[in-house]
Parts: sequence; C-alpha cells; structure tokens
Amino acid sequence: MSDSEPEAMAEADGVPSTKLPPHLELRRTRVLCKVDAPDNTDTIQYSGAYASLGHENSLRFADFCKDFRVDITRISDDDMELDMVGVDPSIANAFRRILLAELPTMAIEKVLIANNTSVVQDEVLAHRLGLIPIKVDPRLFDYLSENDTPNEKNTIVFKLHVRCEERGQRLTVKSNELMWLPKGSEFLKTSESLTSTSKPETYTSFTCSQDSMPEFAGNPIRVYPDIIISKLGFGQEIELEAHAVKGVGKTHAKWSPVATCWYRMLPEVELMEEIEGEKADVLKQKCPAKVFEIEDLADGRKRATVARPRACTLCRECIRDGEDWEKRISLRRVKNHFIFTIESTGALPPEVLFTEAVKILEDKCERVISDLS
Amino acid sequence: MANRESYTYPSNSGFGNDAMQGVSSAGVTVSYICGECASKVALSKNDPIRCSSCGHRVLYKERTKRMVQFEAR
Amino acid sequence: MEHTSFGDQRNATFSLAEEDHTLANALRFTLNQDPRVIICGYSIPHPSEARVNVRVQTTGDPAREVLKDACQDLMLMCQHIRGTFNKAVNDSRMKSPPDNDSSQGMDSD
Repeated sequence: MSDSEPEAMAEADGVPSTKLPPHLELRRTRVLCKVDAPDNTDTIQYSGAYASLGHENSLRFADFCKDFRVDITRISDDDMELDMVGVDPSIANAFRRILLAELPTMAIEKVLIANNTSVVQDEVLAHRLGLIPIKVDPRLFDYLSENDTPNEKNTIVFKLHVRCEERGQRLTVKSNELMWLPKGSEFLKTSESLTSTSKPETYTSFTCSQDSMPEFAGNPIRVYPDIIISKLGFGQEIELEAHAVKGVGKTHAKWSPVATCWYRMLPEVELMEEIEGEKADVLKQKCPAKVFEIEDLADGRKRATVARPRACTLCRECIRDGEDWEKRISLRRVKNHFIFTIESTGALPPEVLFTEAVKILEDKCERVISDLS
Repeated sequence: MANRESYTYPSNSGFGNDAMQGVSSAGVTVSYICGECASKVALSKNDPIRCSSCGHRVLYKERTKRMVQFEAR
Repeated sequence: MEHTSFGDQRNATFSLAEEDHTLANALRFTLNQDPRVIICGYSIPHPSEARVNVRVQTTGDPAREVLKDACQDLMLMCQHIRGTFNKAVNDSRMKSPPDNDSSQGMDSD
C-alpha cells in the first residue's frame, strides 16, 4: 500500500482529507504502553493538527455517525458491558462522571429513632441505613427541598422494629426487615398546644396512600434484601422510621445509582517479530491473562500468536524482562474504543441508566445554549 | 435545689409551671439499669444507690424516651 | 457570562456556573473539532467553587456563535449515541431473550 499518494476524499463541504502515513496514524489513534509508563496519551483534538500534511483532523457529524457503533457484550438486570467505538475519551468520561454523580436516586436521609438499645450507635445505624439501595424508579418522585413538607410525592417511609427475644442467640437484623409504610409516617409529633387539632400530626403529610398510585399498586417498594444492618443480643431493641428522598451522587455517595461504572480502552497486542520455539512457550507462560497462544506450524515449529488481546490487563509481564522482550511485543490501547462496564444497584436497569446519563449531558448543553442566547 | 423543678420547657402542658407535673417532687422515681445484672432499678430521691437484686453500686441511666433524628450521612 | 472586548467578538472567555469537567472537557473536544477555532481551553478557577471558564479564540466568527454551535454539535452527538445504543440493546435483547425473569412469576408448572 503506497502511502505517498494521498487519497483525496471529497467531503460535504469540498475539503479534501488525505490519509495519514501509518506511523502518524499510529500516534494519532493508539496509546503506546511502554515498560515504565504509557506514551502518547493525548488525544489530538485540534482540527488543524495535521494541516501541513493536508489531513483534516476534524470530526464532521456525518463521519461520526458513520464510524460510531455500540456493541453490547453482555447485559443482564444488574450490569452490562458495552463497546463504544468512535467516540472521544472526553465524552466517554463525561458519561462515566454523570453515571456516578449526577443521576438521581432515592436513598434514606432522615432517620427518626424511637428506641435503640443495640450495640450499634444511633449515628452509625443511620449511616448504614442511608447506604441501603432502594429499588424504586427515582423518576416517579420529586426532589424535597428545605421548605417543602414531606408528602407522598417526595418521600418514602420505611419502618424498622425488631427485638431480640431469644436468650443465648444473636439476632441478625437484615435489610429485608425494613417495612414500607405507604401511608406515611406513624410517629406522632408531640405538639405544644393543649388544644389538640382533629388529627395528631405525624412527621410526614401524605394526602393519599402511595399504594393507591398505579406504579406501586401490587408492586411494593422494596430495598435490597440481605444486607446486615445490625446484630441484637437478648433484650435489645431497635425501633425507628427512615425517610428516603431523592438526591444525586454529588451530594452524597449513597445516592449514586451505580455500584460502580468504569471504562477501559481496547487493548491491542502486536508481535513485532516472530516468536518461535522455546521463546513462544516462555511467552505463553508469562502472561497471567492468557493472551498468547501457541500455533503449530507445518514443519514442526511452534509460533506464538495473540489469541485474546481483549483480556490484556496491561500488567506488562511480557515486556518486563529486558530490552529484547520490549522490542518484540508492542502493547497498545486504541484511543477511541471504550469497553464500558456499568453495574447498577437495582433502582434502574443499566441500559436505562446509560440513556438517562446521555440525556443529562444533552440537558447541560441545552442549558449553556439558552444561557448564551 | 428547688430550682430544678422549675425548668419545665420540653413538656406537653404548655408554658408556665403547672403545680401538677404528674408527680410531686418528692416522689419522682427514675428507672436505672444495674451495671452487673442489667435489671431495672427504680429509685426516687434520697434512696440508697444500690441495685435491688444484686447489690451492685454502679447504676446506668436508661436511654431517653424522646425521639432523636439523624441524617443518614 | 461572557467576558469579551467590545469591538473584537472573536475572542472571549465564557464563565459557566454550576459546571465542572464533565461538560467542559466534552465542550473543549467539540470546539477543537470546529475549523473556525484557533485556540480553545477551559480552566476551573477554584475547585471549591463550581465554575468553569471556557476560552475560545476564532478565526473570524463571533466566539459566542462558535460556542453555541459546539454545544449543538455535542447535543447531536448525544442524540445519535442514544439512538445507536437503544438499537444495540434491542438487537441484543432480540438475539438472546433474557432468561432471568425471577421478578416475573413464570407459572408454567
């Protein structure tokens, strides 16, 4: 393939774009992972970066649409892994940041403790309750600000009342003991006036039961079961009410909808020279991720091949033992191919989380546009 | 010591001092917990400080009956 | 909030409140891809304050228009990403239907 002849591709606005020579294309699209540190990590974003060569570095929307693709590797109710190809790291990182910190969820915020004689202190108990994931769609609720009264549109109330009755046995309090109270708080506020109103006040003002709403009729709000909240000895008791509100991970990590979410770039492993015979065996043994395989050639020789480059974890074992190994293997990352993993805590399925994150980025752009106009 | 009874703010009966706070000052019994046998001990003023069942002399106060509110952070 | 000189609309600094690296880095990418932009960059004056200063210097068009176009481009990209992603999810669901219907009761027995 001759690189000296530029292929002039006429674009929509008539600007020809030539292909870069392979060594520059390598620098533009790959991160080189050397023994001590990665090299060439910057994405060359500037549209005029290769102007002197006649190559147009800008990403027109039509080209982006042509090159962009999404492949779902695995998807389940709780987590998913997808490949996003053709997108810049700044946008992939924006999605990751939004998934972690700016997607709203419901989490317990106020804990009213009537009695706690367990060995877990009040504030520690409250902290643990806050971290329990609540399996409800946060889009059905509104935010509760300081001046609002807690009502059925912005609060979920849970109750926990356990007591250990058995002598000699410890009672483990798990999160499935949290009962959902669809009618709101049951604890009465002690009012100061002697002249009592018709109904005693509770800590929330629900006008109707959350049970009657179509989303929750027959589909009670649950928390993630099987989380140990506390352990009780004989005679110890916990009686409390927990109010959950909507929030985002930026305020406190308990409101993060993902257990975690991360991405890595697609690894690329290339053998710069033929590795045969014993060296091939050594290489295959070295790699803990089993990236390399032995291929038998026709005349009895063995050769090493790269079988599973995607499994490479960049441990650099294969290039660690001296300069000759460094010369033989090139570890690289593809700069615009991301392997995203999203693990949801259960409030929303992972594909909905990703779609909501993209919508939030769009909303941010719209806000900037409306501010500018 | 008479001042002690006049601090009545967090009470249901409103402002000012009611003569009847429920019990007269001489007979207010408070329930304590023994340090050794964990049984409840009711003591009023000027009672000797001793557990009624085991005679241990360290008594702990019970947890308050008031509702406490925490932020789950 | 835009800080620019009265006569020269090509170079300006935009101060965006309540923003951080999430939007600013993505905007910087789309701005760089625009051939009208000579220089663009962003800085966060203090990490405790949620404010980003985006600097844009263009070849002739007013910086405000270029920034607006960059935001529009980013929005278009996001919409395309969303569409492609939804299609990919539906395709993968159709190819291998989910077999972990533990939440829905299967009363086949």
